[in-house]
Amino acid sequence: MAKCSICGRPAIYVSRASGLAFCEKHFLEYFSRKVRRTMRKYRMFGPREHIVVAVSGGKDSMSLLHFLHNLSKRVPGWRVTALLIDEGIKGYREYTIKRFFRFVEENNIDYKIVGFREEIGYTLDEIVKMGRERGLPYLPCTYCGVFRRYLLNKAAREMGGTVVATGHNLDDIVQTYLMNIIGNDWAKIVRLGPVSGPSHHPKFVRKVKPFYEVLEKETTIYAIIHGLYDGFEECPYAPLSIRWNIRKMINQLEERSPGAKYSLLRSLETAIDILRKHGIGEEEQLYTCAICGEPSAHPICRACQLKLELGILRLSEERIRSLPEKARRMVEAAIRRGEKR
Amino acid sequence: MAVKVRILGDGEKEVAYREGMRVVDVLRELSLLENEYVVVRRGKVVAEDEELVDGDELVLYPVVSGG
Repeated sequence: MAKCSICGRPAIYVSRASGLAFCEKHFLEYFSRKVRRTMRKYRMFGPREHIVVAVSGGKDSMSLLHFLHNLSKRVPGWRVTALLIDEGIKGYREYTIKRFFRFVEENNIDYKIVGFREEIGYTLDEIVKMGRERGLPYLPCTYCGVFRRYLLNKAAREMGGTVVATGHNLDDIVQTYLMNIIGNDWAKIVRLGPVSGPSHHPKFVRKVKPFYEVLEKETTIYAIIHGLYDGFEECPYAPLSIRWNIRKMINQLEERSPGAKYSLLRSLETAIDILRKHGIGEEEQLYTCAICGEPSAHPICRACQLKLELGILRLSEERIRSLPEKARRMVEAAIRRGEKR
Repeated sequence: MAVKVRILGDGEKEVAYREGMRVVDVLRELSLLENEYVVVRRGKVVAEDEELVDGDELVLYPVVSGG
């Protein structure tokens, strides 16, 4: 039986990549040291912050909320609150919301829940159905990702947040990295770092990923030890995403060659450096969406484009004509995509 | 002579016990990857090389997130 590399007690976790083993106590110390090192290295937080933790109720985001809430007790200038986006996915989100409620109420954490139905007008289930009826080419994860990011930024700003922390772990990051390599989308890869930006827009709230260097296996152990993982729910749409296959592939690779995931993360960091030297990602100047006024990478934000394609958002001829040239063209293209087929 | 295995979100299974069996052997018999599950015995997380005894009951927590 493996022994803790620090105290010699029975180990609960063996890092096959480093060969180090840890008992429960020293695993938690290792975990905390690793996350705090990432936070320092990438200057995620200043001495005075209102950190809005984006929580789904799943084990990773619950672990992040638990971690930052406890850490904030030792940092007088920090306030930690929680934000949950309820997409409206039947048979899934209602269970994770219960876990979320239990935790924030027991720990007296201020929180906000924002629903797709209230903010977008429809639940994700309804949106997916509408998209299929219109013959739009998108997977459910596209609608979910676009509207969730849009609402996350808007709601965090309305809560007075100075920074949004998300529970993305090393596994999530390297999966996204490979997905974007396959999609040949280098502009997205350059934005995959642990801290968003350098985006300057008065309405944009900085996003950070404190678990950037933590394996998903490690966040899972952290969640189990702290009683944050008491049921497994699976998004019914997840198997439709290419991420599902990429994840399996990377996990099989890691099993054969321990350390492959860390190696992929280093590869991503090198790629970001090279891309920046070539000026990719430099033009990260943000627009203000000509329709909703939210910060956007385009003259019309992706959320408004999708709403137009779905027919959720309708604009009068006069309003379209009044838009600046680039924005008008984007609106017309989105309406055409929605009408096609 | 069996080890009972409950996989969260995926029901219960049994694996025939043999002398000197370890957690990793159970995972292999069920064709599961080590880095996709955390194994808990009697309420405590155990490492993959932990030796098992006949009649042990394990709970497997999926590492992959559900969304």
